[in-house]
Amino acid sequence: MELKTVLVAAIVTVILAPGIAVAQKGRISIWDGVYTEPQAERGRVLYRQSCSGCHGADLSGNFETPPLVGRFMPYWSGSTLDALFDYVSTSMPMHNPGSLSPSANTDIVAFMLKSNDLPSGSRELSTGNLKAINFDSAKPVSKHARK
Amino acid sequence: MDRPFNLAPIRAHVDRIYDIKACIRPFRTKGPRLDVEQIGDALVIHNYGHSGAGWSLSWGSADMQVQKAMSRSPKRIAVIGCGIIGLTSALMAQRAGAQVTIYTREPFQSTRSVRANGSWTPASRMALASEAPSNLGDVWERMTRISWKNLRQYIGLAGNPLAFADHYYLSDTPFDTALPPPAPSPLPVPEFYALGDRIGDITPKLQDLTPDIHPFPVKYARRTTRLFFNFSEYGHRLMSEFYAAGGKLVMRNFHSPGELAHLPEKVIINCPGYSARDLWKDKAMIPHSGQTEWLIPQPEVNYGLTYRNVEALSKSDGIMMIDTGPRNGLPKGYGSSNEMPNRAEAEAAVRIMEELYSRFPANPI
Repeated sequence: MELKTVLVAAIVTVILAPGIAVAQKGRISIWDGVYTEPQAERGRVLYRQSCSGCHGADLSGNFETPPLVGRFMPYWSGSTLDALFDYVSTSMPMHNPGSLSPSANTDIVAFMLKSNDLPSGSRELSTGNLKAINFDSAKPVSKHARK
Repeated sequence: MDRPFNLAPIRAHVDRIYDIKACIRPFRTKGPRLDVEQIGDALVIHNYGHSGAGWSLSWGSADMQVQKAMSRSPKRIAVIGCGIIGLTSALMAQRAGAQVTIYTREPFQSTRSVRANGSWTPASRMALASEAPSNLGDVWERMTRISWKNLRQYIGLAGNPLAFADHYYLSDTPFDTALPPPAPSPLPVPEFYALGDRIGDITPKLQDLTPDIHPFPVKYARRTTRLFFNFSEYGHRLMSEFYAAGGKLVMRNFHSPGELAHLPEKVIINCPGYSARDLWKDKAMIPHSGQTEWLIPQPEVNYGLTYRNVEALSKSDGIMMIDTGPRNGLPKGYGSSNEMPNRAEAEAAVRIMEELYSRFPANPI
């Protein structure tokens, strides 16, 4: 690699790194429409049955149960979506952890994404690609968009 | 023998319930986790799994683990978790000279610690007998004695962060009456590690009270004296101490142990409580749920009592009641991770006390 190329790459990194998540090649973000509206609707029904008793119908939690909106975004930021899915799958519902099926849990995660104003898309969320989905607290700025 | 004069009655009525708290004790079948491990370039000192004895053992456990932390001579220490174990670990680390940052997903007042009983119960089910390490008794005694010494500094202060109160055990039948055989249990009945009488020299003894010297409408009564925590004042003092010593608190959720390696602090005391089951995939953590119901405070009541498996204790922020009776042959709540407050259970406990006080002669309430 030529010195000029290295310098340009370094400058771009310094400019973009602070505070702005940059979409990495081959990866997608929770902001890229990773669930569908029908899936979130199924998740809403499941949430009401299994989760709302503690987290509340509006996901706002209570004094002792964490909210799933608001601070939810910074709390999960920096992870990949499989971390949230694994947590929901193995630790929830609190009174009977691990009792919901993988498809039910992906639906519930889809509903949680929708409830945090993340956009829907044309493909359903599935267990196959969760690790490739970055949980970014803000919409990443793509290199293409900065041109 | 001292006569228990002038005991004010508890106004035990369901319409005086003003809060119900449910939580999970961090019971660990192997006893508290106190080992050290390296994650990346960070030294992680574990400090969790104290079962129903977290409030009681916190200072002693913190002292032991901070000594391990200070062996690296760190200037800065991170503490993960802000329950009573995390908070006392942070204070001990400050007292040892470190700058401390607590990383927690909940502030102290929303942690499971503050939904506990908050009494001096250092021997509360520390481990399963079959899984306890051989040195648990010695480690437990050291934690207990160091905690006891540290707690002294909070007794007698304004607001009573810690206080002693007489506690009465009441029964309509002799205490040595054989219990009926336990109901069949859906799970193996746990055999808990027996700690023995190691701290008899600092533990008040039980006294039998004859009916002519106690005011309760029961035939059989015993009395001891117990130490308990008033959460609000005690928690406020500990947090104030932490901030006054320059402590920082960062609200943060960790998704995997590997993230600890990215903290700026390279010596970390890990105090996640029951959450260790998820974050550290610690299968030795077994849920053991419990519930307390809170009635409007009665400052004139300065004692506690236990009757028909319901315990009542007058604290500064309310009359606390807890039903400790076994369920289906198991300790109540053992194996359950249900943290939903149960109103019917709360009312049933209060009604047991209501019936007891209704039998007082000339009950003024």
